[in-house]
Amino acid sequence: MNRLTEHFSTDWSGLTASDWVGLIMTVVTFVSMLAVYFYALKPGNRERLEAHRNIVLNDDSSDREDR
Amino acid sequence: MSEALVEEKYNYGVVRWFTVAAVIYLVVGTLLGVIIAGQLAWPTLNFDIPYITFGRLRPLHTNAVIFAFGGCTLFASAYYIVQRTCSVRLWSDKLAWFTFWGWNLVIISAVITLPLGYTQGKEYAELEWPIDIMIAVVWVAFTLNFIMTIVRRKCSHIYVANWFFLAMMIMVTYVHVVNSLVIPVELFKSYSIFSGVHDAMIQWWWGHNAVGFFLTAGFLGIMYYFVPKQANRPIYSYRLSVLHFWALTFGYVWLGAHHLHYTALPDWTGTLGAAISIAMIIPSWGGAINGMMTLSGAWDRLRTDYVLRFLIMSLAFYAMSTFEGPVMSARVVNALSHYTDWGIGHVHSGALGWVVMVSAGAIYHMVEKLWGREIYSKSLINLHFWVHTIGIVIYICAMWVSGIMQGLMWRAYDEYGNLVYSFAESVGAMHPYYAMRAFGGLLVVIGAVIMLYNVIMTIVKSKEPAAETTAAAV
Repeated sequence: MNRLTEHFSTDWSGLTASDWVGLIMTVVTFVSMLAVYFYALKPGNRERLEAHRNIVLNDDSSDREDR
Repeated sequence: MSEALVEEKYNYGVVRWFTVAAVIYLVVGTLLGVIIAGQLAWPTLNFDIPYITFGRLRPLHTNAVIFAFGGCTLFASAYYIVQRTCSVRLWSDKLAWFTFWGWNLVIISAVITLPLGYTQGKEYAELEWPIDIMIAVVWVAFTLNFIMTIVRRKCSHIYVANWFFLAMMIMVTYVHVVNSLVIPVELFKSYSIFSGVHDAMIQWWWGHNAVGFFLTAGFLGIMYYFVPKQANRPIYSYRLSVLHFWALTFGYVWLGAHHLHYTALPDWTGTLGAAISIAMIIPSWGGAINGMMTLSGAWDRLRTDYVLRFLIMSLAFYAMSTFEGPVMSARVVNALSHYTDWGIGHVHSGALGWVVMVSAGAIYHMVEKLWGREIYSKSLINLHFWVHTIGIVIYICAMWVSGIMQGLMWRAYDEYGNLVYSFAESVGAMHPYYAMRAFGGLLVVIGAVIMLYNVIMTIVKSKEPAAETTAAAV
């Protein structure tokens, strides 16, 4: 076994139930984050996301509309 | 929109009280900081009175600036932003007022118990178990009110500032409750349910997430509302803000272990914390650039808009601190920097540069809107900006020099392997820098007093009949 594989070797049978829960949650969260990156950076979603830029600037005008 | 209609549409009452409380606590918290800085430079200032010695006032200072000033700023701005961006009144006025009085009760409890020496001895989590329970109850009430207000919103999208506030509320609840799990033995004495290195790991998991979510995510929520609002320009890139949010939320929870290099904690844990700390430079700088580039094409505004100056300068400090932190987390740098004043300098460039400056910008903006008149004196905002900025620069430069000198003196050894300097010699060498730090801190206090005066005068003038003619557009 070379040093790299030795460094990354894991005793899977030694993992406890909480180890598995933590591992699965971490991997799922990480993959979800990658999915969000893909969604946000997809050119087709650009206009839809950037349309929300103006919410802050429009809150005064929504007050005026209420009036 | 007339003031009466605004008052009917939004609950500004609780926002006003939290805003004024925040400014008062800024003066108190920074004043305590100057006192303990003075005690380090001139130990006779401890006066041999146990209640005001450095060891007891130091946690009072950190609790005052983080939870009293920072907390009140977060409550005020979160309540203000969620109402305006969701175009709806707070879900429960009673719950909002409960959070105001509950949070202030927590602060008063800290003011009484910490000088008396009641402490759990955990940094940023010193308060004893009954107060921890109060914090949890108030915080959950805050979270519930915020979430229910979002549920009742009149627009489909939840603006990104509210995401940052939500992340803060959820994570602070989680880390505060877990780190506060203790076995009480008396009313003000308890022992952690964790022991040894596990206790240390849980403590710094809390400690760094207090920085990451309370002092960063929450204040980024403030930044994402007030920078575009004050600049009157949309945020540079909404997509970048989405990436900033998810990367920051995913990354920050890993970092605590970098506080425990060269301890009983396994090396791989600290290295993992350091590796992700370095990766965090990318989203942090992405967010800072996003905020700054909002001014793209309108940089001239910085010459005349002093509130905007506070907000943009805060982003410069945010970028600097989020670069410095990861560098310090690397093992080789940490070997020199840990336990030295470099850490204090780093914390204060984040706290005074990022947190206080973005808060000051937000508070000055809100005061005009909440009291329906222009700020009493724009010149005083400018004066506050310069006094505060110069104070921070003096403070952090003194701590950088002092910290690096400390680290080098502690590790210096001669040809026989003996230490070159005693610890007392390193303390003596720090004296000029401690005096400089106290002076820098004094400037920060003076800036805070100027702000308090300006805010009070604005409120007083708003009650005069002539104020109606100069009312700021709401």
